[in-house]
Amino acid sequence: METIEETATAATEATETRRFRVFRFKRGDRGPHLDEFDVPVTARTTLFDAMRWIQFNRDPSLALRHSCLHASCGTCGVRANGREVLMCVTAVHDLGREITVEPVANIPVLTDLVVDMTEFYARFPEAHPLVRESGFDLGAEAPEGVPTYQRYEDCIECGLCLSACPVVATTDRYVGPGALAWAQRILEEPRGEDVLSVRDWADDPDGAWRCHAAFECTEACPSNVNPAARIMQLRGALVGPRLTRREMPR
Amino acid sequence: MSDNTRADGVPGSSERRARGPVLRKGVGPSPTGWFDPRGRAIGSWAFAVNRITGLGLVFYLYLHLGVLSLLLAGESAWNDFLEIATTPVFLGLDVLLLFGILFHGLNGVRVALVGTGIVPNRQMALFWAGTMIGTVVLVYGAVHIIGSG
Amino acid sequence: MNAHASRTSRPHVLIVGGGGTGGALAHDLTLRGVKVTLVERGEVTSGTTGRHHGLLHSGARYAVGDRESAIECIEENTILRRICPGSFEENDGLFVAITDEDMEYLEPLLKGCADCGIPTQTLTRDEALRLEPLLNPELKAAVRIPDATMDAMRMPLRFFATAKHGGAGIHSYMEVEGLLVHDHLVSGAVVRDHVTGKEGEIRADIVVNATGPWAEHIAAMAGVDVPIRPSPGVLLALRGRLSNMVINRMHKSGDGDIVVPQRALSIVGTSSWTVDDPDDLGVPEDHVRRMYEEGSKLIPAVKTAEFRAAWSAARPLIGSKDQVDSGRELSRTFKTYDHKETDGVEGFVTITGGKGTTLRGMAELCANVICAKLGIEAECQTRDTVLFPHEAYYAA
Repeated sequence: METIEETATAATEATETRRFRVFRFKRGDRGPHLDEFDVPVTARTTLFDAMRWIQFNRDPSLALRHSCLHASCGTCGVRANGREVLMCVTAVHDLGREITVEPVANIPVLTDLVVDMTEFYARFPEAHPLVRESGFDLGAEAPEGVPTYQRYEDCIECGLCLSACPVVATTDRYVGPGALAWAQRILEEPRGEDVLSVRDWADDPDGAWRCHAAFECTEACPSNVNPAARIMQLRGALVGPRLTRREMPR
Repeated sequence: MSDNTRADGVPGSSERRARGPVLRKGVGPSPTGWFDPRGRAIGSWAFAVNRITGLGLVFYLYLHLGVLSLLLAGESAWNDFLEIATTPVFLGLDVLLLFGILFHGLNGVRVALVGTGIVPNRQMALFWAGTMIGTVVLVYGAVHIIGSG
Repeated sequence: MNAHASRTSRPHVLIVGGGGTGGALAHDLTLRGVKVTLVERGEVTSGTTGRHHGLLHSGARYAVGDRESAIECIEENTILRRICPGSFEENDGLFVAITDEDMEYLEPLLKGCADCGIPTQTLTRDEALRLEPLLNPELKAAVRIPDATMDAMRMPLRFFATAKHGGAGIHSYMEVEGLLVHDHLVSGAVVRDHVTGKEGEIRADIVVNATGPWAEHIAAMAGVDVPIRPSPGVLLALRGRLSNMVINRMHKSGDGDIVVPQRALSIVGTSSWTVDDPDDLGVPEDHVRRMYEEGSKLIPAVKTAEFRAAWSAARPLIGSKDQVDSGRELSRTFKTYDHKETDGVEGFVTITGGKGTTLRGMAELCANVICAKLGIEAECQTRDTVLFPHEAYYAA
């Protein structure tokens, strides 16, 4: 855990150079290739900083996807040395001397490090509620006129879970951890959504039953969604009523 | 090059719309994406080894049935088999088989508990518990199997 | 292609810049029947828009020193809640007085808010701590105002999604490398498509410069100047949701005087300085330290919270190059420049300034100017049109 003192001394650290091998692909190319760049880095440099340095100082045709720069928008997901990370919060320091940077797996590449998120969103059956009960209130009261404290759902739709999942690597039909975690959240906190239709959607061989408990999605998730555990809870919720012959809650 | 009355008055629109290459993790074509847990966490290793031991056990099952059918061929056929069955290589394979049974069985219990939502958040703990039990039984079993040769 | 001949077919507007302003403008013009193409060099909102702390302004921060901006903010705050339902953490916000000096700001704040139509509720120390237990226990008083939190990318994305489904062509990874200018007439742009690597041209009746702090860079391609000072500030993201309401310091605008919750993070902001190149901002270490210091005056837990990220974002402030200052004194309002009037160049309009909260209002103003130039009579419909969900932007 960083303190103010550690933050302050970072400024005096020396600059060194790291070698990056960056995945490149433009439409019309026969296939992808890796470009090598030597980039000056400090203890503070993030993978995003390094890629942007390349874009501004070496190759303006390098396409990068980013927006918030603080792990809130989920747009800067890549694979660094084979592991799924968000570029903006990954220190180059932690990645080793030579770093291979590729787009996330299992989603079609649009250009260079950018993937076409259309295929990520296509796995969700419909638009989903973004806001939920906060759960972080330490027993506080909400102000008059505010029924309960709200916050955004944890999921930042980065797609790292999809990239990490070994089952998604074998088929495009599996809906994937992100969509299933969303479904479990609906069951947990309906917010007026149609719980029965969400259950039916999840209760499918290519839905909740396709998961094989590799737990890679939870490892990769930068936002504490814990999709693997949610998929297991979802399964419990799908099976429970059948075993006890209980009426499905409406 | 492009004029503004066309629906997509932008350069290269048809190329843009084509589906791009899909990267997979792992060796070879996509169906082996599960086969390459390099650089992944414990969960992926458990998953991959579970599949391999599963395939191994199925193969062993048929082999075992084949071997047992030697009993129908008479005493000398069976005795010939027993001679091979007590060689060090064969005993070594027996230990490997024991590992496969233990891993697949104990991990299977773990997957069942986790996969039906009974203890979804304790998957690592279950893995290490299974490893400890499995190691003890494997060592005990290996000593006895090899000792019997 | 001259402007006159194109009126017989649908007029075409090319918007350069895919930030909140560009998206909202694409949506507004599409609803008015104009054919729109928007080009953005990276992902939409990857300039300044996606990087801010996510505050949906009540306007209270400007109620004392910048009434025009404050009124714009509270109006747009109300409209956005209506047209983007489900896109905000609607927990309101607090202005918190920590010192006696802060308490001197209380009266001006209440009066300023009243004058601008911003509802307030004054709270005692105990009342404030009941709402937000992690506040500095030495606080003296608090004022509740209708701040809210947005996802800085996903809220504007709804404008893009709606525009796209209305027929606008939204093209990310398409960078403007030059404008087509001849005889004081801008007729389009030369673009590089970073998806294919190829260059091409897009012709339009009007080109709109909606590039925020990069406005000067694009304007220079048309041979005109716009008085924009890129004014960055540092932001700090810490792990832990330390408050549910937006927490502001009850004093004149200063460094580190706001803490905004964002999912399970807390964002402390911000600082202010001016630069020439919006692509070269840096993250000054002493500014990051100030965020910790000032933020912990509001919420002591800031001091020991785990670091998540520190970054800079450049505000596009309207002010001339001669005004050398920290950027704090420049107005936060927005302006449209019709370059025919300001510089004698036809077919080129710049819209800039403003805040994340006022994106729709800026677009309305700019769309009015554009429609007047095109000779189109069409009313703005964006005040009451509920937007598509953000996922629709990525739908095939």
